[in-house]
Amino acid sequence: MFSFHRTAPALAIVCGALLLGAAACGDDDPRELAVLTHDSFDMEEELLARFEEEHDATVTLIEGGDANEIVARAILNAGNPEADLLFGVDNFSYHRAVEAGVFEPYEAARRGELPAELLAAFGGTRELTPIDYGFVDINVDLEAGLTELPATLEDLADPRWRGALVVQDPATSSPGLQFLALTVALLGEGRWQQFWEALRENGVRVTDGWTAAYYTEFTRNGGESPLVVSYTSSPAAEVFFGELDEPPTRTLAAWPLLRQVEAAGVLAGAEEPELAGAFIDFMLSADFQAQIPGTMFVYPALPGTPTPGWWRWAEVEVESLALDAGAEEIDRWIREWTEIMRR
Amino acid sequence: MRAGSLRLPGAAWRAGLPAAAVLTPLVAWPLAAVLWRGVAPDGAPSWEAILAVAGDRFYWERLAFTTAQAVASTALALAVGLPGAALFALVRFPGRGLALALVTVPFVLPTLVVAVAFLQFAGPEGWISDLLALASLPRLEPRGTLWAILAAHAFFNLAIVIRLVSGVWANLDPAPEEAARLLGAGPVAVVRHVTLPVLAPAVAAAAALVFLFSFTSFGVVLVLGGPGLDTLEVTIFRLAVRLVELPEAAILSLVQIGATLGTLGLYAWLQRRIAAHRVQRPDRARPLSALSWRARSLAGAQGLLLALFLGAPLAALVWGSLTVDLGGPSLAHFTGLLQETSRVSFIAPADAVRWSLTFAAAATALAVALGVTAATAVARTPGRRGVLLDAALMLPLAVPAVVLGFGYLTTFDRGWYDLRGSAWLVLFAHTLVAYPFVLRATLAVRRSLDPRVREAARLLGAGPLRAWRHVELPLMARGVLAGSVFAFAVSLGEFGATSVLRRREFATLPIAVFDALGRPGGLGRALALCSILMLVTAASALLISRLRYREIGEF
Repeated sequence: MFSFHRTAPALAIVCGALLLGAAACGDDDPRELAVLTHDSFDMEEELLARFEEEHDATVTLIEGGDANEIVARAILNAGNPEADLLFGVDNFSYHRAVEAGVFEPYEAARRGELPAELLAAFGGTRELTPIDYGFVDINVDLEAGLTELPATLEDLADPRWRGALVVQDPATSSPGLQFLALTVALLGEGRWQQFWEALRENGVRVTDGWTAAYYTEFTRNGGESPLVVSYTSSPAAEVFFGELDEPPTRTLAAWPLLRQVEAAGVLAGAEEPELAGAFIDFMLSADFQAQIPGTMFVYPALPGTPTPGWWRWAEVEVESLALDAGAEEIDRWIREWTEIMRR
Repeated sequence: MRAGSLRLPGAAWRAGLPAAAVLTPLVAWPLAAVLWRGVAPDGAPSWEAILAVAGDRFYWERLAFTTAQAVASTALALAVGLPGAALFALVRFPGRGLALALVTVPFVLPTLVVAVAFLQFAGPEGWISDLLALASLPRLEPRGTLWAILAAHAFFNLAIVIRLVSGVWANLDPAPEEAARLLGAGPVAVVRHVTLPVLAPAVAAAAALVFLFSFTSFGVVLVLGGPGLDTLEVTIFRLAVRLVELPEAAILSLVQIGATLGTLGLYAWLQRRIAAHRVQRPDRARPLSALSWRARSLAGAQGLLLALFLGAPLAALVWGSLTVDLGGPSLAHFTGLLQETSRVSFIAPADAVRWSLTFAAAATALAVALGVTAATAVARTPGRRGVLLDAALMLPLAVPAVVLGFGYLTTFDRGWYDLRGSAWLVLFAHTLVAYPFVLRATLAVRRSLDPRVREAARLLGAGPLRAWRHVELPLMARGVLAGSVFAFAVSLGEFGATSVLRRREFATLPIAVFDALGRPGGLGRALALCSILMLVTAASALLISRLRYREIGEF
């Protein structure tokens, strides 16, 4: 007969031992590099294996949430980091991390080849090395039967596109924040607030993150918004995953876009600072840069990097703007936006 | 020591020691550390921040909204769940065990996926809306409404009501009801005056858990809510992730913890007053054929209602995993899961299943050990102290996940206790969210037992340990097993704390689902993984229920 009170302690011990065994495995390697990164990080496995072999090291990836969350984690553990390297901090989130002394400087071997505007996105600090960049723009479902597309940002508040747009909450979503920053950059103080009030009155939808917006609200995936805030690479991703000849969506590309740049930095107090530096150089290697579009769907930082054929659907011909705002400024936008949308 | 009682206050505290020894370092310490850091960024409490939060109307509105929606969600879950519990307790219908296992499934499913699946048939573009449109009626728009949140909370928490209540109900001695009926009481009077008083502890336990889960609800509110419909937990998350507002997040966490502990204290006090005892019997359910046609049609209608409420979103999810983007039913998403990609992001579904089961088994075992000692300690501690202890032991469910996660990262960060990146932290977190279920279920059963049984054993010469092992524990076993089903399910579905502590090397199924959802082209994968999670959950619940039925044979 089954008797729970006699088996429970034994079960606990067995399970515990199993876990301990599992946790203890892999601790014997000579060098271990821990990389704190965001949830969207990806790369070719074979490439990573090559790095590990060349440096006689194992690489552990710590996926710690979005850009804001990983910066928060790095700050909470400043000086005693859980990782050696942080990848995924962007030009929207780096100020606070740099102020908190989270990074130590590192001069990447190919730093000189990086475009000046990417370095400038981080105020030229030597603590951060740009690896890739991307843009957020409005994506259109070409099969939704829209007869006319908005030509200016203000058009989105026009009754012709009533309820047509879905955006993300800038407090919880990186593309949401980038789109908010874009409206601030294009419209300026005072006008951006009016614009969002008008958008609210025009029935804009707000989701907590990109996933809900793209997968539940966008008409392409069964929702009812034919316009969604997404990446300029999203049409290319549709082609890639759907194995299509042409994308069923396109970006509006009707106005200048704000560049989001992602960077890597060696964490101050890292156990393997030298190995962390080597990984940054590795991320700027031709092989790593070339696989960025196919794994993370963003643009490689080094000019002249060859890209796959389907990536041509991600090319956009618009002027790019640089973000010019510090942490307090961005916090204020989010607070004011939340106030406006709450009404 | 009180006259005429065999209770030893000393023994109570001894029984509580193991629980305290586990909970202090795993909850109290990291929590206190991170909250102190938030409330007192410069080493002394920042009264300015505290007063600013206390004076902000927005935060008061959040507290009021959080409480109101939790009360309404609990009421809705009880309204749908209690008749369902009656069905499972009183009627032996074909497929009853399987149906009970399926009831547990919604409890573990990732919110976002259920929301996606749900909108595919109940959203403005879904089947129901299409039907309504044919009849020239307005399309459904559940998003951003309070109704969507309430219905989702009832959907996710229905299992708590049905399992906890039907577990006690099915084993009540039917003699008192029969006597009341013979004495001329109508069916309503019988339920009200004879059945409900004995069921009250189980109903109250279920209500307390549903309230707690709805009060601290995160995923449902984040996805189905929208600006203006945030719970405290979501507000705290928004403040904490940007870190700037860590003081506000810490103060609000204290408010949330205070509010939930207050409610739990009230509940613990109430539960002591409503405890009623009745002889336990083996399964009293009667086969369908033994029922009158009226009872049979009532049971049929009830079953249909439950099947619709619980089954429709689940069916939509499975259907989605077979069709999304595929143009017709196909297994492509499932076979796609098995194709190893050349990316580091690849999580083998078999590994995710294995880790999910490992964590769930280990966490359930630990939760049982912790929950049973905690229940014994609470039951033996008299008066107000017992009420306080009971409420304090539920603390892990009151703590915002993101705050506990940050607490772990900043506390277990040095020397030999640098556990960042260790699977142990995930196991600890799972144990912490799982054991309150064992505690509640065990206490609910123990309270419906006659205390004289134990006292009789003691009078007959059994030592305290022997009386506990041979008298109390076997009698509590049913509660322990009912709690274990939930402990296992909670661990299988745990996402909040795991997401902060996760590593790809020990990714669980919910983590794999979340990972797939966040990547371009991942919806089909996520739905397929969810279908696997559903299968694993139903199978485990069925398996644990098997143990349960055999145990009852002893009564």
